[in-house]
Amino acid sequence: MGATTVRALNGVSLQVADGEFIGLLGTSGSGKSTLLNMIAGLDQATDGELLVFGQDLAQMSSEALSVHRQRNVGIIFQSFNLISTMTAAENVALSMMFAGVPRAQRVREASALLTSVGLGGRQTHRPKELSGGEQQRVAIARALSNKPRLLLADEPTGNLDSRTSQEIMGLLRDLNEQEGKTIIMVTHDAGLAHRYASRIVTLLDGAVLSGVVS
Amino acid sequence: MTFGDTLRLALNNLRESKLRTALTSLGVSIGIASLIGMVSLGVGLQEQLLGRFMESGVFDAITVSASPGGAAASLLGGRGRAVGGRGVGRGARVGRGGRGGRGAESGAGPRPVLDDEAMAKLRALPNVKDVFPSVRLSVQLRVGAFDSAGGAVGIPMSAKDEGAFRTMTAGAFFANEAEETCLLSLDMAKRIVTEQGADAEPASLVGQILTISYSASLPGNGAAPSPATKAPAAMPGLGFAGMPSLAGVTSMLQVQRVERPFRIAGIVEREPGANLGGFGFASVMIPLARAIDIDAHVVQSLQDLLASTPAAGKAKSYTSVTVKVAKAQYVQDVEAQIKEMGYGAFSLNDALEGAKRAFILIDILLSLIGSIALAVSSLGIVNTMVMSILERTREIGVMKAIGASDADIRRIFLVEASAIGVLGGVAGLALGWMVARAINIGANIYIERQGGDAGNLFSFPLWLTFGALGFSWLVSLVAGSVPARRAARLNPIQALRHD
Repeated sequence: MGATTVRALNGVSLQVADGEFIGLLGTSGSGKSTLLNMIAGLDQATDGELLVFGQDLAQMSSEALSVHRQRNVGIIFQSFNLISTMTAAENVALSMMFAGVPRAQRVREASALLTSVGLGGRQTHRPKELSGGEQQRVAIARALSNKPRLLLADEPTGNLDSRTSQEIMGLLRDLNEQEGKTIIMVTHDAGLAHRYASRIVTLLDGAVLSGVVS
Repeated sequence: MTFGDTLRLALNNLRESKLRTALTSLGVSIGIASLIGMVSLGVGLQEQLLGRFMESGVFDAITVSASPGGAAASLLGGRGRAVGGRGVGRGARVGRGGRGGRGAESGAGPRPVLDDEAMAKLRALPNVKDVFPSVRLSVQLRVGAFDSAGGAVGIPMSAKDEGAFRTMTAGAFFANEAEETCLLSLDMAKRIVTEQGADAEPASLVGQILTISYSASLPGNGAAPSPATKAPAAMPGLGFAGMPSLAGVTSMLQVQRVERPFRIAGIVEREPGANLGGFGFASVMIPLARAIDIDAHVVQSLQDLLASTPAAGKAKSYTSVTVKVAKAQYVQDVEAQIKEMGYGAFSLNDALEGAKRAFILIDILLSLIGSIALAVSSLGIVNTMVMSILERTREIGVMKAIGASDADIRRIFLVEASAIGVLGGVAGLALGWMVARAINIGANIYIERQGGDAGNLFSFPLWLTFGALGFSWLVSLVAGSVPARRAARLNPIQALRHD
């Protein structure tokens, strides 16, 4: 409980509080994606401490990291990363499968999640039958499936047109404001970040350049 | 993640690449088919050969012989115990022999004698099915124009169920042991019809009379005369048949020529084995009781004649008896116990063990040859899995990002490899079975043309069926283990960047 503490990258500590919507800005190579991956438990710091919900990810085994990815975080990618051979519902249910949720419950919850992101009628469609925006909605539903408190989004609108981008960003803002999800979003679009994020953190060459509260 | 989930996921993945799965499974099935084809050929041949031996009753028999000391004791102690009348019941003989035998032993220590008492003891051993003396007679055989010296062996009534007598070429087994009937081996029957010059089938001999003649000591010479040895007066057409010029000599030596008619009851195709009257050619078989009866009176040497003094008669002990055990596997055990009793014992068990060892070697060799195809097909599995993992690298990264553990990923790919293996194994069993049937049918047509017996060259026992399935699963598991490990260890970040 309490603050989501991230202390990383070149000895500069960054603290993220529960319920914040962080916009992580920076040029490519600035380390913003690395930071996000580390928080996600996909990458491990070679040195130092990375505390997420009081646990030091830097010290975790790969087994423990997979549990962290399962329970604590939901990840949304720029390229959606849905599994092409599975339907929308199966994609959403997959992460629950790894978490050991029984099949009947998985089917029920996946359906409800898809409905909540506005894809109630697209359950049995495969990714290639969906538009980019729809695919990203499926990805968001999947990120929410194990009820994580922290959502990590890596350029979630990078592959979308501006109108669809607005819809997806609106969805993320709703999750932040109405459901209290903490969101850390990596983007290079400063305008988008300023519009939706509650705080902007800018990284340059692996160091926090500024932390502006918008 | 439950096993059911893993299985469902793996099967879905395989369904997504049907052609590749089918081709890889086909490779495995060819490997399995060649392996089980080879092994089933080894097993089938073994069953064909050993099965025939087993049926012949050789391997469940122990030939017991008295040691030289025992034989001497039987001569001394067997006083007054001549073989009695016709159709003597076994129980009666045992009772009488028992007392005599004990007398001998008390005088000369525990010297083994193969008499009725000894046979009773042997019969009392665990797992012994039957005990009977081996009686082999050298006699003159005559059927019409056929006239030749030959051997006749005594066959116990219990041999009726032996393989050799179950499949008779013609006729039937002895109806009872009192009747003077005989069986001929097929070879003997062929010799007789050839000799007769008639263009007849061997089967036509059934019902004809085979005359067995031998020299016998005169009644009153030995102990009680056997009612079975019919006096010429009582039974016209039998009796004194020696040449007139020798009549005086034979009467001096108290020997007479006896002829006894045996109706040919049947013809046996397969040679009866060692248990049926020694390890020899058994061309003529007569009921054991008849053989014992004749044996008691036949004079084959001067020694026989001298032994047949009124006082001693012919000591009723046998040079060898045959012990039949309930199952071939008991032979070793029973044989050891018989040796402990002081008798000489011999069985073909050791020879059987040797043959079995040879077959194990053949089986190993055949399965090694068969395994080559399976080894190649296991490389096919490795290749398929490596390709599949390469193609799905990004998918593996996604699964890891949303919470799959290394173990989950490894299990998914192991189950995929296993499914290919089991699928290939089932198809391979079917393929192997069909090919084996086809070869068997072809081979049997050839064998029958060559005058042989058709049989199953291939055998698919249950252990082979399940063993082959298990083996193909194991091979696929081993083949899949390295790729699965590689998949599990993929760095998720790099995997997600993979195109």
